Amino acid sequence: MTSLRYLLAALALIGATQSAVAADNLDIIVPFAAGGATDIVARSFEPTFSQQLGVTSVVRNVAGASATVGTAEVAKSEGNPNIIGYEPAGALTIQPSLKKLPYGPDSFTYICRTVSNPMFLMVSKSSDITSFKQLVKESQDQPFLYGSSGPGTLPHLAMAATVVNSDLKAEHIPYSGSGPAMNALAGNEIQIMADTETILENYDLRPLAVFADHRVEGYDDVPTIEELGLPELDFAVWQGVVAPKGISDERAQQYADACKATVESDKFKTFADKAKAGIAYLGPDDFKSFVQKRFEANKQVLKDAGLTR
Amino acid sequence: MDVILAAMGDAFTWQALLAIVIGTWAGIIIGGLPGLGSVVGLTIFLPFTFGMDVITSMALLIGVYCGSVYGGSITAILINTPGTPQSAATVFDGYPMTQQGRVDEALGWATFASFFGGVLSCVLLIFCAPQLAKFAVNFGSIEVFALVCLAMLCIVGISRGSLLKGLVCGMMGFFFSMVGSDPITGADRFTFGTYALSSGLDLIPVVVGAFALSEVFVRFSARDEEATSIPEARLRFPTLREIGRRLIELVRGSFIGSFVGALPGTGAAAAAFISYAAAQKLSPRRANLGKGEPDGIIASESSNNAVTGSAFIPTLALGIPGDVVTAMMMGAMVIHGITPGVRLMADQAQTVYALFVVLIIVNVAMLILSKPSIGLFRYLFKLPLGFVMAGIVMFSFIGAVSVRGNPLDLVVAALTGILAYVLRRGGYPLAPLVIGMVLGPALESSLRRGLLISRGDFFSFFTHSGIATTLFVLIALFLVWTVAAGVLEWRAKLAAQEERS
Repeated sequence: MTSLRYLLAALALIGATQSAVAADNLDIIVPFAAGGATDIVARSFEPTFSQQLGVTSVVRNVAGASATVGTAEVAKSEGNPNIIGYEPAGALTIQPSLKKLPYGPDSFTYICRTVSNPMFLMVSKSSDITSFKQLVKESQDQPFLYGSSGPGTLPHLAMAATVVNSDLKAEHIPYSGSGPAMNALAGNEIQIMADTETILENYDLRPLAVFADHRVEGYDDVPTIEELGLPELDFAVWQGVVAPKGISDERAQQYADACKATVESDKFKTFADKAKAGIAYLGPDDFKSFVQKRFEANKQVLKDAGLTR
Repeated sequence: MDVILAAMGDAFTWQALLAIVIGTWAGIIIGGLPGLGSVVGLTIFLPFTFGMDVITSMALLIGVYCGSVYGGSITAILINTPGTPQSAATVFDGYPMTQQGRVDEALGWATFASFFGGVLSCVLLIFCAPQLAKFAVNFGSIEVFALVCLAMLCIVGISRGSLLKGLVCGMMGFFFSMVGSDPITGADRFTFGTYALSSGLDLIPVVVGAFALSEVFVRFSARDEEATSIPEARLRFPTLREIGRRLIELVRGSFIGSFVGALPGTGAAAAAFISYAAAQKLSPRRANLGKGEPDGIIASESSNNAVTGSAFIPTLALGIPGDVVTAMMMGAMVIHGITPGVRLMADQAQTVYALFVVLIIVNVAMLILSKPSIGLFRYLFKLPLGFVMAGIVMFSFIGAVSVRGNPLDLVVAALTGILAYVLRRGGYPLAPLVIGMVLGPALESSLRRGLLISRGDFFSFFTHSGIATTLFVLIALFLVWTVAAGVLEWRAKLAAQEERS
């Protein structure tokens, strides 16, 4: 039993050192696992941001449940001036309408939006469909299948809204990410997918429409959804920084200044260029009303498609 | 040819070679520590690569990846605890060999099989990537469902003693994998209204609890000192003649690994189980499997390391990462302005060839570094047993929590550890639990997606495509074979009894 005593002694020691190192750092919560698309942008954002703030910060990945676990962690740290979240669109504007969460759009102090990329409605290049009109027509005999990176994700919502607002007949098949969905599209298991330019460029895909209020540079011949006779549908993959509620105005201002400076820095611009992330800065107030607007719009889509809780 | 020479020049810089040595060695150690696996290793090293050039950073990450997949076998063999889920199948024969005093032989086979599988899949990657990628695209949801069903049959094979107990554990693992969000509707399941459970149970905390923590409990509750001591880790490579005798096993394991690795949504752990199941049916020494037969180690280790090369096939050829690990690698490439996808080979041939060269060097480095790494484990395990066990408990918990940063995972690991201890006491095999958990999500989502695609018609699965039909026929053959063998055995027993009476 001597060894059991050793074990307990060693474990106690480990516990002691653990509590000693917890210091006053800024925690940047990324609600996805390390290495994902959001994580990479967050990690490129972090160095300049901490430098501007003059603090040491740590990117912490708290993943799970469609990014809501990490987001909830930020929300519940009310009043803590040393934690912020680098958030994706879905966790702030879709998930709260889908399931019961310990937070809502009012649970945060909004700092800034960093990047945003419009989504495209796409089909495989190997298909002979070249326009949205043709897509609608061919869907009448046999409904098409559209993929998404999971239930309740932006690709899902964008397509659900399109189906509700047009004569397109299509059904949803969710995958566990854009990659597997692309594999299914390549194998013709699904025929339609909505996603960003990055995906469009990397695979053999043909854009039929863009979910934005104006045509996108570089894709001048791709019409907007509104031009096709549908109501305006605005779906973009964006990211932003939020802090918990209850922090001082001074602290919020510091965050906002640091974020603006970071997004405008050459270092971040070079990175965004490489990673095809479209810089789209919004300040605290604009970001807040933007999130509120998107939240309401998404809620309506979910309701129309019969997806709300 | 110029491109290949230029690529060699990119790969043989001192920075890249240093990155390979550091990455591979660190990978082996990280893989060997229970709880810390490929994902944790890559997470640790990813931030370092931001300042490096693309080949050096990929060299570091590939080193960590391949090293960690191999490293998991060291603790699987030495202390009955796979360092990573990928090496769970190595335990079946690795630990019995250790108990028989054949540690050196077991580690030698694990090392050589890992090297062999890694290199063979590199060769396949270099010569057949486009063809294999095209074939993988034909693997839709229904084909994946058939393949996963085939892999699930592996539970039958490894539940020696009691099939019922094996199935109970398999179903338990399957149930664990269902906690959390429904993959099709997104609704919460089995969360009992607690928000903390809505993210589901992660594989790593469960594996850590089931193997590492339960092993610690078992060792402390064992009364005699003999059973609790850890033998000295030594390494003896198999001779050419021994390799020749088992060459067919090495090749089969490597091919299964390469093939499974190229499919989306599977991964090295699934490959190892499938390969082990194949060895149980096809190895000439199958009667000894599970009792300390090198063929079992070969089946597991050659296939899981073969995944390291072939997992790059869909990533590089289509830009579709096959698993979490290659998704992280793809992220690292994107940071350096390289976007994997259909045009990568045409636009950046030199970088792609340099990656191939790096992969091969990493496997050679792994072979060379295996000896000093195992030496390090030898010294670690010479410490008083209490310290070793405390270390295992500590790394288990670090590994459990660092995957998702979710404190709930600590509780999951601890509870699984207690549950696994009770199950082991009752003679329940733990591997089916892990198999259920690894294959459960793939089985469920591929079945439900398949039903959506076929509009609810399950019977059309069997005729969906040539691949699907072939796989279902294989499953039928496997079942008939197993039942027939059982009946024959039973009749032989009956006949023997009659003769005696």
